[in-house]
Amino acid sequence: MVDPPRVESARQATLITTFVPWCRLLARRRRRLMAGMALMALTLVSAIGLLALSGWFITASGLTGLLLAAGVAASLDVYVPGGGIRAFALTRTVSRYAERVYNHDTVLRLLADLRARLFGVLVELDERTLSRRRASDWLHRLTADIDSLDSLYLRLLAPPTVAALAILALGGFLAIWSPAAGMVVLLVLGTTWLWLTVGQALSGMAASRRQVSDLERLRSGLMEELQGLAELLAYGSLAAHRRRLEDVEARLQIDQRRLGRRVACGNALVGVAVGLTLVLVLWLAALARQTGSLSGPVMVMMPLAILAMNEALVGLPMAFTRLGATRAAAERLNALEEAKPGGDRNLEPLPPGPLAVTLEEVTLHYPGNLAPVLEAVCVDIRPGERVAITGVSGAGKSSLGGLLAGRLPPTRGRVLLGAVPLGWPVPGSLAQRVGLLTQRVDLFDDSLAANLRLAAPDATETRLWEALAMVDLADWAEALTAGLSTRVGEGGAQLSGGQARRLALARLWLRDPDLVILDEPFAGLDAETASHIAARLDGWLTGRTVITLVHQLGEAVDPPAIDRAMTLRAARLGETARYLS
Amino acid sequence: MAAGERRLLGLVTLSGVAAGTLTVVQMGLLAWLVAQFLVAERVPEDLWPAFIALVAVLPLRALAQWGQEVAGLEASLRIRRRARAALLDHLVLLGPVRLASRHSASLANQLVEQVEALDGYFARFLPQLRLAIGLPLLILAVVAWLDWLAALFLLLSAPLIPLFMALVGMGAERLNRDQFSAMARLSGHFIDRVRGITTLQLFDRGRDATAEVHAAAEDYRLLSMKTLRLAFLSSAVLEFFTSVAIAVVAIYVGFGLLGFITYGPSSALSLFSGLLVLLLAPEFFQPLRSLSQHYHDRAAALGAADGLVAVLNEVPDALHPEAHPPEPAIDEEIVSLTGVTVEHPGRGRVLGPIDLVVSPGEVLVLTGPSGAGKSTLLQLLAGFIGPSSGQWRRSTQPRFAWMDQRPLLILGSLADNLRLADPQASEARMRRALSRAGLDELLSELPEGLETRLGERGLGLSAGQAQRLALARIFLSASPLVLLDEPTASLDEDSEAWIIRALSELAEEGRTLVIATHHPALMAMADRRLALDEGGRLAAVTGESDRG
Repeated sequence: MVDPPRVESARQATLITTFVPWCRLLARRRRRLMAGMALMALTLVSAIGLLALSGWFITASGLTGLLLAAGVAASLDVYVPGGGIRAFALTRTVSRYAERVYNHDTVLRLLADLRARLFGVLVELDERTLSRRRASDWLHRLTADIDSLDSLYLRLLAPPTVAALAILALGGFLAIWSPAAGMVVLLVLGTTWLWLTVGQALSGMAASRRQVSDLERLRSGLMEELQGLAELLAYGSLAAHRRRLEDVEARLQIDQRRLGRRVACGNALVGVAVGLTLVLVLWLAALARQTGSLSGPVMVMMPLAILAMNEALVGLPMAFTRLGATRAAAERLNALEEAKPGGDRNLEPLPPGPLAVTLEEVTLHYPGNLAPVLEAVCVDIRPGERVAITGVSGAGKSSLGGLLAGRLPPTRGRVLLGAVPLGWPVPGSLAQRVGLLTQRVDLFDDSLAANLRLAAPDATETRLWEALAMVDLADWAEALTAGLSTRVGEGGAQLSGGQARRLALARLWLRDPDLVILDEPFAGLDAETASHIAARLDGWLTGRTVITLVHQLGEAVDPPAIDRAMTLRAARLGETARYLS
Repeated sequence: MAAGERRLLGLVTLSGVAAGTLTVVQMGLLAWLVAQFLVAERVPEDLWPAFIALVAVLPLRALAQWGQEVAGLEASLRIRRRARAALLDHLVLLGPVRLASRHSASLANQLVEQVEALDGYFARFLPQLRLAIGLPLLILAVVAWLDWLAALFLLLSAPLIPLFMALVGMGAERLNRDQFSAMARLSGHFIDRVRGITTLQLFDRGRDATAEVHAAAEDYRLLSMKTLRLAFLSSAVLEFFTSVAIAVVAIYVGFGLLGFITYGPSSALSLFSGLLVLLLAPEFFQPLRSLSQHYHDRAAALGAADGLVAVLNEVPDALHPEAHPPEPAIDEEIVSLTGVTVEHPGRGRVLGPIDLVVSPGEVLVLTGPSGAGKSTLLQLLAGFIGPSSGQWRRSTQPRFAWMDQRPLLILGSLADNLRLADPQASEARMRRALSRAGLDELLSELPEGLETRLGERGLGLSAGQAQRLALARIFLSASPLVLLDEPTASLDEDSEAWIIRALSELAEEGRTLVIATHHPALMAMADRRLALDEGGRLAAVTGESDRG
């Protein structure tokens, strides 16, 4: 038999460890968090005070009025309680407003922290981890995950803390007149609090954790149907596919229904628990008044104070039933951190000038793939030599480029640059010596100048224009009204594919590396432009080691002055016939 | 959308009213008990029935509350399911050709996220809207019965609330829009930087970019705090009125009970009525407060609904086959086109006029420069679109197989992917189909065989393997007509060779193949070759005379 408590505690431990890094991040803003909670508490105290004092005042005036009506000389100081009521009314409004503004400010600060922290993790990841995660739906999930964590404080930390403190304080306060009433508050509301937090969290954990992945499955199912509609219609399998989709949706809705019902139960429980406490406290207070240990107005004040506790507990069921979703988000983000390559980033200084490149028995095998991309590849490239490596798409050219630029660790074997073996992870300083023109050009939603200055932050404007001239873009840029300040749009959307590629080449030229790796340098360029640029590049490439990765040589325009050509086929690199330019 | 769930939504309102009524009862009992203790000087032991009643109200009220939430949830779930189905039906109706011009990832996102965004509106906001009018009236009636002057206080403050909220809301509305675009810009900035991380790494600029990400989020914070300061004012107004109403009622009742107020109904106030008025004052505002809490649900749903309605408003264009349905085929012919043209809205004529009869068992190859309308002709043969003019006939049972450059891979096992072509296919037939498509080697390497899962967290297929899987589907299906759009484009030599061999096997089986291709080996298979020119006209037909 399984021992349930132990299973439970193991789950707790992982739940806690999941959130530890995030709580640590929150703790950096400890003072703001405390101040925010204090404001929340002040709002709650004002709400309780307003109702309790009003009840006290009405009862006191009612009793005094009765005495006066009976002709008994009695008096009641109406100014202090009246002032108190007005003060509570005012602080409740003001502190509530201040609390909301202040805490949202805090949340936005936390959001900035979270994003920066995650980005810091992402820039340390290697190519293999990154390339699996570049799809746009992954990016959206990433931002959604960050957003769900930024509410950690406002939904899951502050409200239960304030509620717990309020229960303790109210219990203590009522115990002044009736210790039994204080105990009732602590017991009933304390137990309720425990259920609303821990109980609700555990009961909704599995279903809310599944939510994101179920939504994901629904999304990909819908995408299948929309993308593959032609085939589905052709084979008449649209209805069958739709049934699969409906199954996925039904599963999702079962969980959503379960979660919604749990939340509704929690909300109903709040009403019952507060009401029950109220009745019990009223009973105890009435008994205590009989013995004379408390007055009539206090007897009324006590249950009314409890009535206001509704406000402290009402948000908890919703937040905690869905804890699993926040947990899943945290787990996904934690997994990113774990993917970060460990170890020191050290590299012996590379020799100056063009770099020799050596691969020693290099094998590269992606996990999950059946066959290796590269198998026992050996190659020697002399400093200053220009090599072309050809192969069909998917043959592993880009992986080879990634290996040489230190972006991927080989599964076996060594990569040496200038006779220095590349350790793993490779330090960022390698970027000074090795330049890689990737097949996919990344441009940022920023100005032309900013995109160019990525390669050389201190480059003067003259230098930027030289770079543009190098790739035949200077005339085009001059014609732009905003010149170098022209924004290129999201991912360079304002530019054509060819312009983007040329801009990337200009960036590489600005960087001035000693080993240049060009992955399909002229893809998407018309033959005329390509031959212009090839001629210009030729001069610049002299005195550098150059490795060009292309689909095929001898097509439209070949990369300039190739000394040697090799072919990548079936995971092996073979020398092709000597290439004569 | 909500119309279909009127009963459930009615149930939500009913439960809400029941919960509100029970709250009034609860408060009434509480005030009565207090009055009995303090004014009538009765002892708790004598009043136990009232205590029991008070305890009994609690589960009833909880049940009503629960019912309100659960019925709202159910309505929302059903509405979302129906909305999604309606949208998907509509998109399917638009057909594969129209959908090809749309970004399917963002459409799928709409169908998931925007439909989910309707939740809060139907589950909470809409029912709460009715309750926000009904419940305060109920409470007002009770208070008026107790003390009309106190009711007047509440009544006077109530219309002020929407007024103030509207004033604040108008200012916040514009700011809100700015806020929305700022939020979108921030997410865009982050995604932009993440997408380009490789380049940042290649230039060793990770640290600077991280600082930039932080700075962008800080800018966003400063901007949005301006909005939020104003936006929170509207809830502060509500809060203020609730607090002031409690305070005013408390002081009014207190002074009335003391006999300080000599006019109006206050002389008739008792401890019971005074206390009950106080207890009901916050309840008067509670429905409005809940409504304002759900207000962002409304904003989210309205935004989503805009996007969804835009999808539903897309009507099938003139090329939809329903607009020009085919006549039944005569004799043996599969498809026959006479003087057919296809005009894309906005792009003019892309195909035709063309005359063509596709007969059983022939291999027809379509060639021509890109943009010559080869794909359009295939779509026409498949019946995905109809002609703009001319006559067309199709056999009434147009079973066909389709393969283009992006074969459909569904998240599921290898077998699931094969069964798309034939749900009843036996394991042996699936294995045979895979082996004919040249995937038997791959299959033998998979420990789970046909049950191996594809896609995310499963086996990743290369482009060539995916294409060969689509080929296996063709083998599995008995479809006499096979339509292929550039089946060998951008494939490795091995896959290319397999596909060419497989297609000639299909031709030998007697299936009719129509292939749009540039590949010489495929062109050589042709019984007839149709060359289209850039204007989509028939430039040349070769091999016509070879056929008897």
